[in-house]
Amino acid sequence: MTQAEKERVPIEKGFFTIPRDPSEPPSLLGTRCRSCSEVFFPRRKVCAKCLSQDTEDTLLGPRGTLYTYTYVHVPMFGTSRTDAQGYGVGQVDLPEGPRVQAVLSGGAEDFRIGMELELQLETLRENRKGQDVVIFRFRPLAAA
Amino acid sequence: MKLEDVAVLGVGMCRFGVHRDTTLTELAREAGLKALEDAGLGFRDVGEAFVGYMQGLPMLGIKIMKEFGLTGLPVTHVENASATGLVAFREAAHAVASGRCDVALALGFEKMTEMAWGGGGGRGIGRDAIDSVILPAAFFALWAMRRMHERGTRPEHFARIAAKNWNHGAKNPLSHRQPDHKVTVSEVLASPMIAEPLTAMMACPVDDGAACAILGRRDLAQRLRPERPRVSVIASALQTETYTPGHTFLGPVVGPASMTRDTARQAYEQAGVDPSDVSLALCHDAFANEELEYYELLGFCPEGDGEKLLEEGATQLGGRIPFNTDGGLIARGHPGGPTGLAQIHELALQLRGEAGPRQVANARIGLAHLVGGGSVCTVNLLKRN
Ligand SMILES: [Zn+2]
Repeated sequence: MTQAEKERVPIEKGFFTIPRDPSEPPSLLGTRCRSCSEVFFPRRKVCAKCLSQDTEDTLLGPRGTLYTYTYVHVPMFGTSRTDAQGYGVGQVDLPEGPRVQAVLSGGAEDFRIGMELELQLETLRENRKGQDVVIFRFRPLAAA
Repeated sequence: MKLEDVAVLGVGMCRFGVHRDTTLTELAREAGLKALEDAGLGFRDVGEAFVGYMQGLPMLGIKIMKEFGLTGLPVTHVENASATGLVAFREAAHAVASGRCDVALALGFEKMTEMAWGGGGGRGIGRDAIDSVILPAAFFALWAMRRMHERGTRPEHFARIAAKNWNHGAKNPLSHRQPDHKVTVSEVLASPMIAEPLTAMMACPVDDGAACAILGRRDLAQRLRPERPRVSVIASALQTETYTPGHTFLGPVVGPASMTRDTARQAYEQAGVDPSDVSLALCHDAFANEELEYYELLGFCPEGDGEKLLEEGATQLGGRIPFNTDGGLIARGHPGGPTGLAQIHELALQLRGEAGPRQVANARIGLAHLVGGGSVCTVNLLKRN
């Protein structure tokens, strides 16, 4: 963790926590409906299922199960990465309920449906203030 | 007047492809004038217009409609991602059905080759950066990988669908891709990998184009083209996502597959027909694995039997229920705005018996399906009578 001393900022606010200790996994910021108990990611004001506005913030993760995945061999949007190795994308079922679509950390052969994954933050680039811009990813738990 | 009293009076399109030296206006004008000529109408007969495109400045549609003349007609813009053209068609059909006008025009146009990529489903709703890191191709690949896991589907199945649609394209002079040889499964599998298990030849191309349909009262069809079989609109269903467990909200293309099943049921109910009454279907095959799912979701076989239907050859020309007879999105092309109207173009030709080497024998009812951005679905049924 060479970037421990650098301040980390999210690629976009309101989706995940940034723990002070870089070795800690982040949590996702979700919503729980007080009327029907359904849980959502990302956060929302109105329950998508029962339409109640009686909702509350809840923390999700850091672990989940891989529902499906792919490995993409064309450049990724929104990053300055130009590596030709590609990247994984998956849908991860969180024990709290939501299925989260996210980029996966690891190589083309590292994934299989049903495996356990853990959230991590990955640095995309440095901004003009010298802060690291981070996004959440899931990585295979075995690789932790 | 009801929807079924509305007929497709005329269709027109320009060949989809990369049109570097032709402007969007020229493409749109060509498609529109062809459709008017096909209908036997002049622009002054058009009572209302619906224009569809996915990108462009405000008013673009109204500006382009001036190409046909200034007659004061009402023009409405429609945008529903990949489903745009079919939704413009739907609005035009309902404008006639409601009695608002006798003739309505639906026109779609797009230059996808000039599109500024990099945005996803979250663009404009306040989460641009985080939402746009995942490609649409990845979403459909996720779907394919899950099916392979659950049902033992092999990449060869997806390749077979892609090869079929490429080869259908060879029989369509208006198709973007017109292979000069019979495309094989191994050729599709050997093309570059985009997102596992989807290869480049399993994906639709990036292209430009325009397509137009003229809708009008059914009795007008009889009067204008008495020699021609009439093509009526018997259903037009449109749905957005219904919340289901396992819903994903983040990413450019989200939405449950069940949206297609629900929308199709609504369309069949509206028309009072069953899938077994349908002679041919055009679906959103932006990626080949989608078509396999839609065999089941559109009701042409039980869940889990899609591969069997494919292996029987039922969905190729000459089969029981040919899919994407004009090449589909994979071969005919998918410029966005006009895609759905190209489907209407194909259904009109097929139902009139004018589809030449790719004619489906005794085509009676045709289905046009599109999803847009994973979050909207439309299923439309046309009937010859
Ligand atoms: Zn609720």
